[in-house]
Amino acid sequence: MASKFWTQGGSDTEEEETDIEDEIENGGAGETAAAAAGSRYLQTNASDSDDSDGQKRVVRSAKDKRFEEMASTVDQMKNAMKINDWVSLQESFDKINKQLEKVMRVTESDRVPNLYIKCLVMLEDFLAEALANKEAKKKMSSSNHKALNAMKQKLKKNNKQYEELINKYRENPESEEEKFEDENEDEDEDESGSELEDPSQIAAESSDEDDEGEDMDDDDADGAWEKKLSKKEKLMDREFKKDPSEITWDTVNKKFKEVVAARGRKGTGKFEQVEQLTFLTKVAKTPAQKLEILFSVISAQFDVNPGLSGHMPINVWKKCVQNMLVILDILVQYPNIVVDDRVEPDENETQKGADYDGTIRVWGNLVAFLERIDNEFFKSLQCIDPHTREYVERLRDEPLFLVLAQNVQEYLERIGDLKSAAKVALRRVELVYYKPQEVYDAMRKLAELSEDGETDGDETKVEETRGTSAFVVTPELVSRKPTFPENSRALMDILVTLIYKSGDERTKARAMLCDIYHHALFDEFSIARDLLLMSHLQDNIQHMDVSTQILFNRAMAQVGLCAFRVGLIAEGHGCLSELYSGGRVKELLAQGVSQSRYHEKTPEQERLERRRQMPYHMHINLELLEAVHLICAMLLEVPNMAANSLDAKRNVISKTFRRLLEVSERQPFTGPPDNVRDHVMAATRALCKGDFQKAFDVINSLDVWKLLRNRESVLEMLKAKIKEEALRTYLFTYCSSYDTLGLDQLTKMFDLSDAQIHSIVSKMLVNDELHASWDQPTRCIIFHDVEYSRFQALAFQLTEKLSILAESNERAVEARFGGGGLDLPLRRRDNQEYAPGTAGGGGGRWPDLSYNQGRQGSSGRAAYTGGGRPLALGQASRDRSGQSRGTGGYSGRAGSGMRGSQMDASARMVSLNRGVRG
Amino acid sequence: MATYDLTPRIGPNLDRHLVFPLLEFLQERQLYPDEQILKAKIELLNKTNMVDYAMDIHKSLYHTDDVPQDMVERRVEVVARLKALEDAAAPLVTFLQNPNAVQELRADKQYNLQMLNDRYQIGPDQIEALYQYAKFQFECGNYSGAADYLYQYRALCTNSERSLSALWGKLAAEILMQNWDIALEELNRLKEIIDSKSFSSPLNQVQSRIWLMHWSLFIFFNHDNGRTQIIDLFNQDKYLNAIQTSAPHLLRYLATAFIVNKRRRPQFKEFIKVIQQDQCSYKDPITEFLACVYVNYEFDGAQKKMKECEEVILNDPFLGKRVEEGNFSTVPLKDEFLENARLFIFETYCRIHQRIDMGVLFEKLNLNYEEGERWIVNLIRNSKLDAKIDSKTGTVIMEPNQPNVYEQLIDHTKALQGRTYKLVGQLLEHAQAQPAR
Repeated sequence: MASKFWTQGGSDTEEEETDIEDEIENGGAGETAAAAAGSRYLQTNASDSDDSDGQKRVVRSAKDKRFEEMASTVDQMKNAMKINDWVSLQESFDKINKQLEKVMRVTESDRVPNLYIKCLVMLEDFLAEALANKEAKKKMSSSNHKALNAMKQKLKKNNKQYEELINKYRENPESEEEKFEDENEDEDEDESGSELEDPSQIAAESSDEDDEGEDMDDDDADGAWEKKLSKKEKLMDREFKKDPSEITWDTVNKKFKEVVAARGRKGTGKFEQVEQLTFLTKVAKTPAQKLEILFSVISAQFDVNPGLSGHMPINVWKKCVQNMLVILDILVQYPNIVVDDRVEPDENETQKGADYDGTIRVWGNLVAFLERIDNEFFKSLQCIDPHTREYVERLRDEPLFLVLAQNVQEYLERIGDLKSAAKVALRRVELVYYKPQEVYDAMRKLAELSEDGETDGDETKVEETRGTSAFVVTPELVSRKPTFPENSRALMDILVTLIYKSGDERTKARAMLCDIYHHALFDEFSIARDLLLMSHLQDNIQHMDVSTQILFNRAMAQVGLCAFRVGLIAEGHGCLSELYSGGRVKELLAQGVSQSRYHEKTPEQERLERRRQMPYHMHINLELLEAVHLICAMLLEVPNMAANSLDAKRNVISKTFRRLLEVSERQPFTGPPDNVRDHVMAATRALCKGDFQKAFDVINSLDVWKLLRNRESVLEMLKAKIKEEALRTYLFTYCSSYDTLGLDQLTKMFDLSDAQIHSIVSKMLVNDELHASWDQPTRCIIFHDVEYSRFQALAFQLTEKLSILAESNERAVEARFGGGGLDLPLRRRDNQEYAPGTAGGGGGRWPDLSYNQGRQGSSGRAAYTGGGRPLALGQASRDRSGQSRGTGGYSGRAGSGMRGSQMDASARMVSLNRGVRG
Repeated sequence: MATYDLTPRIGPNLDRHLVFPLLEFLQERQLYPDEQILKAKIELLNKTNMVDYAMDIHKSLYHTDDVPQDMVERRVEVVARLKALEDAAAPLVTFLQNPNAVQELRADKQYNLQMLNDRYQIGPDQIEALYQYAKFQFECGNYSGAADYLYQYRALCTNSERSLSALWGKLAAEILMQNWDIALEELNRLKEIIDSKSFSSPLNQVQSRIWLMHWSLFIFFNHDNGRTQIIDLFNQDKYLNAIQTSAPHLLRYLATAFIVNKRRRPQFKEFIKVIQQDQCSYKDPITEFLACVYVNYEFDGAQKKMKECEEVILNDPFLGKRVEEGNFSTVPLKDEFLENARLFIFETYCRIHQRIDMGVLFEKLNLNYEEGERWIVNLIRNSKLDAKIDSKTGTVIMEPNQPNVYEQLIDHTKALQGRTYKLVGQLLEHAQAQPAR
């Protein structure tokens, strides 16, 4: 596109400008003659080559007509004034306003014709006069009087818009026009060459072919809904396009204020507003102004969202992201612009141009916007049906957000706002933490692919649209392509390190949970466990907000799965059992609404719950989780039941499992296993008899195993565990029937090696679970006859009860006398474990998202913000940050007393499965 | 056999000078090529002032008499600096060398400072110079001088940070001079300070503890009573935490100490749990041995590990200390370790067996038949083992030790009686006290 053409176009517009002035002159406003002359002088200076254009004439005639109409209306008004006819005056006033609109459209100027202003001034004066003249007022007819009052109101309202112009006109009716032009001229000269070209470009295009201009609008809008541009919208576009050189900071600012003020008002179309503002960004004069307007655009785009439960339209979301990227471009290009939401900047702060040296403050909060964008993304995933293509399409937008977050974070880090950077980092963490390596790789590839494919087309398009329109051209400085490390762990490490260093407590806690989840996902059980215990999150999680509690539950579930995968059955059960104890696992993990028979939920609660739901792709497979939980419980509980066959009620490891077993035993027929539960129950029945093969086969036939990455090895492990527990169960159950039992026989029965059996049995012997000993030369287990007679067993029970009685006596005395002087033996404390109800095992540890959650959650949050209990996370994070990540491994992990806490915390973890073995 | 060498992990936690003994040991054991070790030594010496020594090593490494220019330059620089520091500290040094003058010092620090200032014109600057001088002496390898000066500096110093680093310096010097008794004293002093001082961050405190533990290895494995003390120190919660988080390799020394020490059995069980828990972060044959015997009950595995342990001990600078006895050089710790390890295996083995074939047993214990029989007879004679040897079948038969049911019942109820009496007594006491009031 030859610049020559543009310059031509530019001068063309100048020409038109003069025409308008002429029109005004002709329209009977004699006073402005001098001003018009002045301006023409200046203009001819500015445009050295005047071209005549065929089109011009047409335009002029149209304009002529409009102006003539207007002038005649003014004349009518003058007449009405003379006869003091307010009714007709009011009519004329409405008429002139309509005409004004037309005139403005035709001239495509944002400036109001002087004629109109003059008329307003005249009206105002007349009105004041009429109001002052009370006698005349009294004499008026009622209709006239009414019209006067109505006029008073209307004029007041109307004049507000033009206050400035009116004032200017009043001050100096002659030179007003001139000054205006001067300003324009100055500013134009200030602009760099390229910037000068752009406005003229628009002007030319729009003046040459109106149709094309419209097309271009649509291009800009690039969305279906924007096609329905309102008339007003087009009007505004043209307004600006016709007179690019005349657009000043002031005009843009004024328009901007006007549009912003309309925000939220009745009748203000949300889309329209976005469009208007988007257009304004193109005509913004200074980078700072563009930035300011862009912020408003984004706010307006957020407004588009229909309601709290719905999500933002996806194309708006995408545009929002693009806008954010442009904001970043500007911020990167002009490092002296500071975005801040704490100080109210000057009115004219944004007037400072690109070459201004000092810092320019613009109101805005990048992090808040980013978080909002993320929330909208999350919400959209919540709302879209996960089984549709739309959902997948939506998921593909994730890299788009990630790149934005990455850029924002980089920017924030550069300006040293680490705290905000940590917040942004958390958002990124939360998008990555649940992804196994395969999914992560897929995302990475997608990001590369889509960007490669799109960049060509996209970029040229973007350039075109932006190039043709924007005054302030912002080159794409920040990368539009996310960069992902090879390994998701690496990414996580970078991000969480940043967060641990500079995030606030909640951010750190969430990042820690994500970290734990991620480690667990990658089968790093010991690391995940250490992190969990060191951070003391278990102690504090009740005081946190609901979504963090959900995250905690998810992390716990994942840690449990991880423990199972690496073969730590007891630990796995410890993690999962509490999740299943209430039967509300769906609710706890926010993966669906569970219906409860006993509690009716209010709609409010239901809505809250729905808003907490995890999007489908983040779900932890519930069937797998249940299978793992029940299998863990089975492996622990079956030998345990066999060991305590006499006193089955005493040592219950998993209440849930026991209950299920009871239910299944009560069934008259046991059909073939149907769901996960049935499978595990069938396996349990086999295992009770010591039939490991059948137990394993049943478990193996579950189809959830295909969800595991290392399926083979997990099943291998599971088989070994089942054999081991089958052996133990067998020994417990039938030890009374044997006097000796050969090692060889056991090897054959359980398909285990000598060494394994020896080790397992030895363990049982040492732990006094089995009263027997090895006879080494004959490779036999010799069972000692320590079976108590019934009498003896009863005697033992009696003594036990006696000691409980003594204890309760002591406690009673203690309670009565305040325990002073009663130095009871320490072991009493341990004995309290006899008390029933401890089997539940600290049910309070799981954050309870029960029905009163709304209240609970909020109070928890209050406590949180009130600095309730300090999160011990600080400590753990400190040592995490002290970690030398480069060297790999956790060599540098340290922290005072933290290991101690780990010790006792791990003791607590162990206590979850206390009484497993003896 | 360099797989189990901990020098690279221990080194960073030691003072530069303290690494020398380790390197010397490695050189002696020839785990690494000589050249590497010599190079490491030069590297080590680079930052110290022992330039002459570095030159010697350089010569022997490259078999030349030429010395690189920078070493020569460094030497000149060091000498000059030494001179300057000596001058600066001279007034105080001369004062301290005068026994009469030193007698005027009292326990009161303030008084001393005042007195020095008034009568000898020795102010804070000179005292500071003494510290620098002592440090320099230490850097030059003159440990005894450094130790003396540091001792005196501590008497005069008012800055607690400085005093702490002086203490570290003193400890290092004493270790290097192998004054184990004094070093132990210094160690305890330092430990108290570390435990009581409030550090800027817990991380620093842990780091100090880690250093302290590493340094203490020199003392504990040389001092007579060290093996008990190492357990006392390392097994404290705070120190154990530090080990687990930052230096799990120290578990080797703690495990060894537990094995060779018979007096600390109560803590042993706890320690086994720690070993079990930390198997993922650190393991070597010694900890694995314990895991085999006490966690997995794999006696064949334990036996294999025992053999590996022997190697590890011989190659460990702290554990494999040699004692020259006439023509033999023995490693006393090794023998002790093996003896105790054997006992551990046997003990556990006996617990779960009724009858053991002696041949198999001795194989597990790495003993020959004769030796083994004698060993068992000794055990039985010392009534450490409740068993009999059946010579005919070549087996050891354990005496069953099932507690009598009635005894158990009595045990259970015995305590009840006492408790009830106590309760009643308390009640009566209370009842009497009330009317009296």
